[in-house]
Amino acid sequence: MVAHAEAHLDHHEEHPPVPHYSSRISPSILGMYLFIGSEIMLFGAFFTAYFFVRVVNGTPWPTPPFHLPVYLAFINTCILVTSSFTMHWALTSVKRNNPFGLRAGLLLTFLMGLTFLITQVAEYLRIGFNTGDGAFPTIFFCLTGLHGCHVFVGLTILLFMTIRAFRGHFDAAHHHGVEIGGIYWHFVDLMWILVFLTVYIL
Amino acid sequence: MLGLGTLMGGIAAAVALLFPWLPKPASDEAGRIDFVFWFAVVICIVIFAIVSAALIYAVINFRARPDDDSDGPPTHGHTKLEVVWTVIPTMLVISIGIVSAIVLGQNDATGKDFMRVNVTAQQFAWSFQYPDGKNMTSGTLRVPVGRSILLTFTSKDVIHSFWVPEWGQKQDTVPGIHPTLHITPNKVGRFPVICTELCGLGHATMRTWAIVMPRAAFDKWLKGTSAAQTSTNTAVSGAAIFKSQPCGSCHTLQAAGTTGKVGPDLDKLPSYAQQAKQPLDSFVSDSITDPNAYTQPGYPKNVMPPFNLPKPQLDALVQYLIQSSKKG
Amino acid sequence: MTAVTADHHVPTAPSQHGPFRRYVFGAGWIRAAWMFCLFGGIGFGLTVLARWGGGWHPILYTQPIVLLSLLVAAPIGFLAGLGTFDYWTYYALGHPTRAEDHSGHGARSWRDYFRVNTDHKVIGVQYLVTTVIFFLIGGMLAMLVRAELARPGTQFFDTQTYNGLFSVHASLMIFLFVIPAFAGLANFAVPLMLGAADMAFPRLNALSFWLLPIAGVMMVSSFFIPDGAFACGWTGYAPLCSSHQPLGAVFFNQGVQWAGASSIMTALNFLVTIITMRAPGMTFWRMPLLVWANFTTSLLVVIATPFIAGSQFFSMFDHVMHTAFFDPGNGGYALGYQHIFWFYSHPAVYIMMLPGFGIMSEVIAVFSRKPIFGYRLMALSLMAIVVLGFSVWAHHMFVSGMATWLRVPMMVTTLLIAIPTGIKIFSWLATIWNGKLHFNTPFLFALGFLSMFVIGGLSGVMLGAVPIDIHVSDTYFIVAHIHYVLFGGSVFTIFAGMYYWFPKMTGRMYSETLGKLHFWLTFVAFNCTFFPMHLIGVEGMPRRVADYAPRFAAWNMFISLSSFALGASVLVFLYNMITSWRHGEIAPSNPWRAMTLEWQVSSPPPTFNFTEIPQVVGGPYEYGVPGAVHAILTPSHATEVPAEVGV
Ligand code: HEA
Ligand code: HEA
Ligand code: HEC
Ligand code: CUA
Ligand SMILES: [Cu+2]
Repeated sequence: MVAHAEAHLDHHEEHPPVPHYSSRISPSILGMYLFIGSEIMLFGAFFTAYFFVRVVNGTPWPTPPFHLPVYLAFINTCILVTSSFTMHWALTSVKRNNPFGLRAGLLLTFLMGLTFLITQVAEYLRIGFNTGDGAFPTIFFCLTGLHGCHVFVGLTILLFMTIRAFRGHFDAAHHHGVEIGGIYWHFVDLMWILVFLTVYIL
Repeated sequence: MLGLGTLMGGIAAAVALLFPWLPKPASDEAGRIDFVFWFAVVICIVIFAIVSAALIYAVINFRARPDDDSDGPPTHGHTKLEVVWTVIPTMLVISIGIVSAIVLGQNDATGKDFMRVNVTAQQFAWSFQYPDGKNMTSGTLRVPVGRSILLTFTSKDVIHSFWVPEWGQKQDTVPGIHPTLHITPNKVGRFPVICTELCGLGHATMRTWAIVMPRAAFDKWLKGTSAAQTSTNTAVSGAAIFKSQPCGSCHTLQAAGTTGKVGPDLDKLPSYAQQAKQPLDSFVSDSITDPNAYTQPGYPKNVMPPFNLPKPQLDALVQYLIQSSKKG
Repeated sequence: MTAVTADHHVPTAPSQHGPFRRYVFGAGWIRAAWMFCLFGGIGFGLTVLARWGGGWHPILYTQPIVLLSLLVAAPIGFLAGLGTFDYWTYYALGHPTRAEDHSGHGARSWRDYFRVNTDHKVIGVQYLVTTVIFFLIGGMLAMLVRAELARPGTQFFDTQTYNGLFSVHASLMIFLFVIPAFAGLANFAVPLMLGAADMAFPRLNALSFWLLPIAGVMMVSSFFIPDGAFACGWTGYAPLCSSHQPLGAVFFNQGVQWAGASSIMTALNFLVTIITMRAPGMTFWRMPLLVWANFTTSLLVVIATPFIAGSQFFSMFDHVMHTAFFDPGNGGYALGYQHIFWFYSHPAVYIMMLPGFGIMSEVIAVFSRKPIFGYRLMALSLMAIVVLGFSVWAHHMFVSGMATWLRVPMMVTTLLIAIPTGIKIFSWLATIWNGKLHFNTPFLFALGFLSMFVIGGLSGVMLGAVPIDIHVSDTYFIVAHIHYVLFGGSVFTIFAGMYYWFPKMTGRMYSETLGKLHFWLTFVAFNCTFFPMHLIGVEGMPRRVADYAPRFAAWNMFISLSSFALGASVLVFLYNMITSWRHGEIAPSNPWRAMTLEWQVSSPPPTFNFTEIPQVVGGPYEYGVPGAVHAILTPSHATEVPAEVGV
C-alpha cells in the first residue's frame, strides 16, 4: 500500500502517451458491433425458448382461443422499418454537414420509435391474455417484450442524440455519436422483422 | 525417464487395483459399463504416467543452480513431435468413443422379450407400477433376475433421477416427458435405489430398494400382490396398500417388516397422537393426506409427500396402521 | 458508449458548491447510500403502482416487489450514487463533452481503491481483493459443507440449509471468484502487455467492476431472507428452481444477471483493447499468450453469456410472473432450461480455464528460461477449444432424458477437446524440458497445475464417454472432477498469477518461504481432499446430499479433515499477501527477468504505464536467443540491471 502510494505522488504532472491505434476501425464502433453480437445471442436464447415451446412441444400457434392482431403489428412494423430510413437520412446529413437533415431525421426516428412502443403497449393491454396463461402467451410476451425493452433503450439513446444534435454537437468531423446510436437502431429494427415474422406470421 | 514412467504408472495402477472401485456389477449393463470404465482408466493411467514422469524427470534434472542466470536453449518447436502428440491422443480418444458407442448401443437394446415397469417419481418418493400385474403398484422395485426390464419414467413435480449403483444405469425423470431405461439384472439381491438429481430438501432421503428375485418367486409375488390389490374394490386390505405405497422406504412398521428411518416410527403412532393431543384415527389420516398439518418434532417438514388416496383405501390404511401400532 | 470519442473539448468549470453539498451530492459512498434507498423506493412505488393499475392481486406481492425494488432498482441507484454513470449522464443530457482530466485515474492513497477509478491497474487490484474476499466466504461455506458431511446423518444443518450451503458455495466460487479473478489479473496485465496506456473504455471497465460486489452481496444475502438461500445447486435446474423454491432462488437468478453483465462488458472491453490498442509492431503473432488467452476467452464470454442471462430470466419469470417456460403442466418444456443453461455453462468452464492457460504460458516460459514450445499452435489450440467448446454442451445432459441421438455426436466432440488441450499440456512439458528451472512460488503452482489439471481433464474424458457418465453422473466422481479442474486447474493458475504479478502490482516482493509453504500445504491437502471423492463416487455416493450411507463414513471423515487443512493453507496465503504488501522487500522492476512489456516499466507501473508507446520488434518469449528483444522503450523507462531471480 505505502509503496504504491509513493509511486503515484507526482501523478498530476504525468500525461498519457499518445495512443497508437492498431486497427482502422474506431474502438467505439467495434465495441458496438461486438455488443450487438452479444445482443443477437440474447435474442438467440429467447428464440431457443420459442423453438422448444413451439417446435419441440408442438404448442398450437396462437393457442385458441387467443389470437394475434397481425394487421396492427404489420402497420407497426412498417413504422419501425421507415424509422430506419430516417435514421440513415440523419447520418448521411451529418456527414454532409447538414444540421437540418440531422435534426429532422433524428426527431422523426424518435417519434416513430415512440409510436411503435406506444402501439405495442396498447396491444398488450387489449390482447386478452396474460403472461400466466400458458406457453404461447409466455413466449409471445417474452419475445415482443425483450424487443420492446430494446426499443426503449434505443429510444433513450435517440433522445440523447437528438438533444446533442439540437445543441450542435455533431458535424461532419464529429459524428460518432450519431453513427453508433444509428447502428443500434438498425439492429433493433432488423430484430423486429425477425420477431414479427416468427411470432405473428409463421 | 522410462523407469519413472513405469513407476508413476505402477503407482496409479496400484491405486486402481487396491481399492474396490466400482460396485460389484449386478446387471449385464453394469458389466459392460465396467469394461468401458477400465478401458478408459488404462488409457488415462498411461497418459498420466507419461506426463508425470516427464514432469518429475524435468524437475530433477533441469533445475537451475542458484547462481545460474543463463537461459535454456531457444527451441521454438519441433513439427514431428507436435504431430505425434496430436495424432496419438486423437487415436486414443477415438477408440474410447468407438467402444463407448458400441456399449451404449448394446445397453439400450431391449430385444423383443422385455418386461415393462412404470416408475413414478415425486418429491420425495418412488412408486413402481406393473402393467403385467394388472397395473398394481409397489413402493419397492421388484424384478425377476435375468429378464430385460424397461423402466418408463414419469415425474409428478420436479426432476429426479433413478439410479441403482450396482446396475450402473441411470436416468433422470423429467416432468412432461417419459424417458426410458433398460436393465437386465443378473444377480439376486437387494440394492438401494437412489435419487441422484437435486429435487428439493428431501433429496438426500429419496431412497427405496430394488429387489431382484428368482423368476418363479417373482411371478408368485406379482400374482399374489396384484390379486390382493385388485380385490381392494371389495375388501380393502390396509396391509397391501401400505406395501404398494412407498411408506416403507421412510417408515419403520414392524407388522409390514419395513425399517425406514426418514420418518417417525409408525409403531409408536399412539404416543405421537397423544403428543399432538389429537384423536388417533383423525391424526393418522390427516398425517397421510396433509403431512405438514402437524410435524413430528425432530423430523423435517416438507419431506413426506401428501398422499391423496381414495376414501376406502385411506380408511383401510388408517385402520391397518392403528391396529399394527397398537400391537407393536 | 461514446466514451472514447470526445467530440468537443471544453474544460470543466471547478465545482462551486459548498463542502456539505459536495459531501452529500458528490459521487461517493454517501450518495450511493441514499440513492440506493431512493431507487429502491422508486422501484417499490412503480411495482405497486403497476400492480394496482393492472389489477393484479395481491397488490403487495412480495416476490415482484423484492425483485424489482431490491434486486434491480436499488443496485442501479447504488451504482449511480458511486458515480459510475456520471460521465455518461453528463454526456447524455447534452452538456459539452467533459475533457478527460484523469482525476479518476491512478491511486494516490488507499482511499482511491474504494471509489470509482478508471485506471486498469487499480481496477485489477480492486477485482483481485474483492474476489479473494468472496473466495474466503465461498471457502467458509465449503468448510461448513464438509463439517456436515464428516459423519453420516444430519448434524449441524437441516437439509434445506445444507442445499443452500453448497449452492452458494459453488455460485460464489464460479461467478465471483474464478471468472472475475481472471478478469482482474488480465485487467492489470493485458494493457501493459499490449503497450497501451489503459483499456479502450476505462469508464465501462470501472462499471464492470462495481457490478460484481452487487452480485456477490446478493447471493450471500439470500441466506438472511425468510425461508433461506436458494438451494437448487449452482445449476439452478428448472422446474425445481423456477417454481418449487422460496424467494431465495430469485436472488440467485438476479445475482447471476449482474455478474454476467459485468463479464460481458469486460469481455467487450478486452476485445476492443486487443484489436485496436496494440503497440506498433505488436502483430497478433507477437502477442504474449496471456493476451491470446483473454482474447479467446472474451469471444466465449460475448457469445455464450447471453444464454445464461436468458436461462435465468426464464427461470425468474416462471417464479415471479408464473409464466410457463419450464412448466410442463402449462405447455412449457422442462429440459429447455438445461439446453440453454449448458450452452453457456459448458463454454463457461473454458472461460474459467483459458485465462489460466495464458497465465501458465507466461509463468512457465519465464521460470524455465526458454521460449514457449510451439507458440503458434498454442494460440491456435486456444481457438480450437473455443470453437469445439460450443458443440459439447449436452455432455452434461447424457442422463437428462434429451433426444438420445444427440448423445453420440456430443460424446465425439467432447472427446475431441482432449486433443487441443493435450497439445497445450505437451507443449508446456516441452518448454520445461532442457530449461533452466527456477522454483519460485509461481512456478511451483504452475507445475502443480500441470499435474492436477491432467488428472481433472482425464476424469473429464471419462465423463465424456457416455456409458461411464451414465453410471457416475451426479455422484462424487463429478465433484472430484469439478475440483480437480477448478481448484487444481483454475485456482492454482490464479495463485500462480497472483504471486507472479504481486511485485508489479504492489511494488513489493512476497515472502518466498511462505509462498512455498502455501504451495506444499495446498498441494497435499488438495489431493487428500478431492482424490478419494472419485472413489466414493463410483462406489455409489450421490452428490448434493447432506446424509449418506454409513459405509462411506470413513472416507468422508478423512476428506473433511483434509479439507480443513486445505482451508488452513489458505490462511498462509492470506498472511503472506497482507504482510508482504505492507512490509515486503521493495520489488525491482523486473524481478523475474521476463521479456513481456509489463516488466519493462517500474514496479508498480507509472499511472499511464508508458511515457511513450513502445515499439515492438520481436516475439515475447525469446529467452536464450542471443540479443533478442521484445520491444524498445523510450530511454526514460530504462530499467535497472536485471535483478536476481530469487531462490
Ligand atoms: C475449469 C473447468 C472445467 C474444465 C476445464 C473441464 C474440462 C472438461 N470436462 Fe468438465 N466439468 C466442470 C468443469 C470443467 N470441466 C464442472 C464444473 C462440471 C460439473 C457441472 C455440474 O454439474 O455442477 C463438469 C462436468 C463435466 C461433465 C458432465 C458430468 C455429469 O454431470 O454427468 C463432463 C462430461 O462429459 C465433463 C467433461 C469434461 C471434458 C471432456 C473436459 C476436457 O476439456 C478436459 C481436457 C483435458 C485433458 C483430457 C487432459 C490433458 C490432455 C492430455 C494429456 C492429452 C491426452 C489425453 C487423452 C488422449 C485422453 N465435465
Ligand atoms: C472454483 C471453484 C471451487 C472451489 C475453489 C471449491 C473449493 C472447495 N469445495 Fe467446492 N464446489 C464447486 C466449486 C468449487 N469448490 C462447485 C461448482 C460445486 C458443485 C455445487 C453444486 O452441486 O451445485 C462444488 C461442490 C462442493 C462439494 C459437494 C457438495 C455436494 O454435492 O453435496 C463439496 C464437498 O465436499 C465441496 C468442497 C469444497 C472444498 C472443501 C473446497 C476447498 O478448496 C475450500 C478451501 C477453503 C477455503 C478457501 C477457506 C479458507 C478460509 C478460512 C479457513 C478462514 C478465513 C475466513 C475468513 C477470514 C472469514 N465443494
Ligand atoms: C419420503 C419419505 C416419506 C414417505 C414416502 C412417507 N412418509 Fe410418512 N413421514 C415422513 C416424515 C419425514 C414424517 C415426519 C414429519 C411430519 O410429520 O410431517 C412423516 C410422518 C408421518 C406420519 C405422522 C407421524 C407423526 O408423528 O407426525 C404418519 C402417520 C405417516 N408419516 C404415515 C405415512 C404413510 C402411511 C405413508 C405411505 C402412504 C408415508 N408416511 C410415506 C416421511 C415419509
Ligand atoms: Cu428426487 Cu432427488
Ligand atoms: Cu462441460
